[in-house]
Amino acid sequence: MGGWIGKLLRVNLATGEIKKEPLNMKAANDYVGARGLGTKYFCDEVDPNVDPLGPDNKLIFMTGPLTATAASCSGRYEVVAKAPLTGTIGAANSGGHFGPELKYAGYDGIIFENQSEKPVYLFIHNDIVELRDAEELWGKTVYETTDMLNETCGASFRVACIGPTGERGCLYSGVMNDKHRAAGRGGLGAVMGSKKLKAVVVRGTGSVTVVRPEPFMDAMADARAKLKAHPVSGAGLAALGTEVLVNVINESGALPLRNWRDGAVFDKADDTSGERLADTYLVKNKGCFGCSIACGRVTRVPDGPFASFGEGPEYEAGWSFGADCGVNDLAAICKANFLCNEYGMDPITLGATIACAMELFEMGAIPEEDIGFPLRFGDAHAVVNLTEAVGKGEGFGEILALGSYRLAEKYGHPELSMSVKKQEMPAYDGRAIQGMALEYATSNRGGCHVRGYLTSPEILGVPLKTDPLETEGKPALLKLFQDLTALVDSLGLCLFTTFGIGLPELSAQYREAIGSDETDEEILLKGERCWNLEKRFNIAAGVEKDTLPPRLLREKLPSGPAKGKVAELYEMLEEYYTLRGWDKEGVPTADKLEQLSI
Amino acid sequence: MTVKFFATYREITKCAQMNIAPPKDVLALLIELCEKFPAFYEKLLTQDRQALGPDAIVLVNGRHIVHLNGVATTLSEQNVVAVFPLVAGG
Repeated sequence: MGGWIGKLLRVNLATGEIKKEPLNMKAANDYVGARGLGTKYFCDEVDPNVDPLGPDNKLIFMTGPLTATAASCSGRYEVVAKAPLTGTIGAANSGGHFGPELKYAGYDGIIFENQSEKPVYLFIHNDIVELRDAEELWGKTVYETTDMLNETCGASFRVACIGPTGERGCLYSGVMNDKHRAAGRGGLGAVMGSKKLKAVVVRGTGSVTVVRPEPFMDAMADARAKLKAHPVSGAGLAALGTEVLVNVINESGALPLRNWRDGAVFDKADDTSGERLADTYLVKNKGCFGCSIACGRVTRVPDGPFASFGEGPEYEAGWSFGADCGVNDLAAICKANFLCNEYGMDPITLGATIACAMELFEMGAIPEEDIGFPLRFGDAHAVVNLTEAVGKGEGFGEILALGSYRLAEKYGHPELSMSVKKQEMPAYDGRAIQGMALEYATSNRGGCHVRGYLTSPEILGVPLKTDPLETEGKPALLKLFQDLTALVDSLGLCLFTTFGIGLPELSAQYREAIGSDETDEEILLKGERCWNLEKRFNIAAGVEKDTLPPRLLREKLPSGPAKGKVAELYEMLEEYYTLRGWDKEGVPTADKLEQLSI
Repeated sequence: MTVKFFATYREITKCAQMNIAPPKDVLALLIELCEKFPAFYEKLLTQDRQALGPDAIVLVNGRHIVHLNGVATTLSEQNVVAVFPLVAGG
């Protein structure tokens, strides 16, 4: 059973019953693992109209067939549930070391059902699996929780947990592991909190085997060599982290400024860049399990009002607390990002929600007494203070905890939420990168950049250069990238591997691990199957149609290389649906579902 | 004309930007930069020194030269040229 342990945990949090059951190998073969397999289990077992924070929503942790193997960057696991922020399928993956440890303990995944009456955590040490009282942990931050559990259970245990925001139902709270890594988007931490499940603690001493060891090692070595040889995965990401994107995206006129209101060129962008971070607060870089890239940042702001220590920020957090809020104080950005890790929040949605509040305040839609102070763009102290307020559930932070859509709706301007399906879009303006406009609109989990990442060809020229201002060819390119991304997520690998390797290298490792003779195309089809299953769930759940905020569709960019451009979504959407085999409303046809055996 | 340098290229130039008289086109600019900073030879240009190296990005007023006239893109005083190594993230 190469790549897999062949066993799942099923935990009923209401009764305390813990079952060990065989992995559904048919589903694993059809959906690869992690994102695809977790979604398959979820869709088979949960009504799409379930209340995301009710007892019938399930929370699934799922690894992939390459997780914990010798494949490069194989430290990922996926968290799947119906997402409270969006009402869509929620699937978010995370690196670090938790996923591999779960497999070493002897489990490919965990399905949590129902809700506990009292706070609990799940303890796993190989065959010993117990629900334990978590009363003392409830209310603690991610850092405190992790430290306390490591003290109680042992320093070698890996911890995935929620912070206080997950307990309180913040709609963008994440599931955090290894303190600083996050299954961050969509509010899956709130689902965990609704189940009174504070943490999962795991230690394993087993191993993962592959079916054809020698060919697997050859395929792994080939992939690793290509990752080392590529300038992005072999050098650039290690040196400057993901924040290196700030300048190239800004120079391309695609860095959304002040809630996307003031175009996409920030004259102070360099102050928040990866280059500046390396010159100032970077302590060292860091990798996840089995990582040959090491893009992580360990950073310290040594003094001043934002003195702090932690990991990050990534490019998106640097943008959300930076350009999106009109802020160029890198120390404040670092501090806000650290607070997100500490309290267990998604920095993309939080920063974008603060930016939305800034615009609403400046236009007079939010009274000052609701916030407690005048909230203007560029106020770095306000960004940090509001981040802390959300983390602690204090004052205006309680409203910000709902995300930008519900905030903007409350104050009468839902159109000023820069979100798709109620999830905030990240740091690439779809008016300047047309492919990203289509990607945001069609993402199955709402506004998101890692459900295809067309920025790579559009701006960076990896693996080929396309013109970001044109729409031609983008639907076909996006479909390929979406299916491939679903495959990478399902394998249990980091998406960043795709800067250096592609479908042939991914497929080769998969084949040798599980002992398959499928072609590359047959394997890619499994990514497409995942994408269609997600879409079918969303339609059954009544998720709104694929579109963009009116600002992107109607307000022209005022400056930069994309001056005068809007997002030409409707030049691309119909062709995209046709290529997907969906009808004109974006619904997968019966023929398509049959072709994919869904 | 302003030329901006980013990412690891700043380790070569020791500066973030410089102002120079505009060469006639991008190729002339790249050659001028290589002469000024010899470490650029293996990064900005192909071996025959006739084209942009595969691991470099050059924007003129925010547009990648691939979408303009390549290294034959003409330059003027008003242009802003941005020079990057191949970078990515997300």
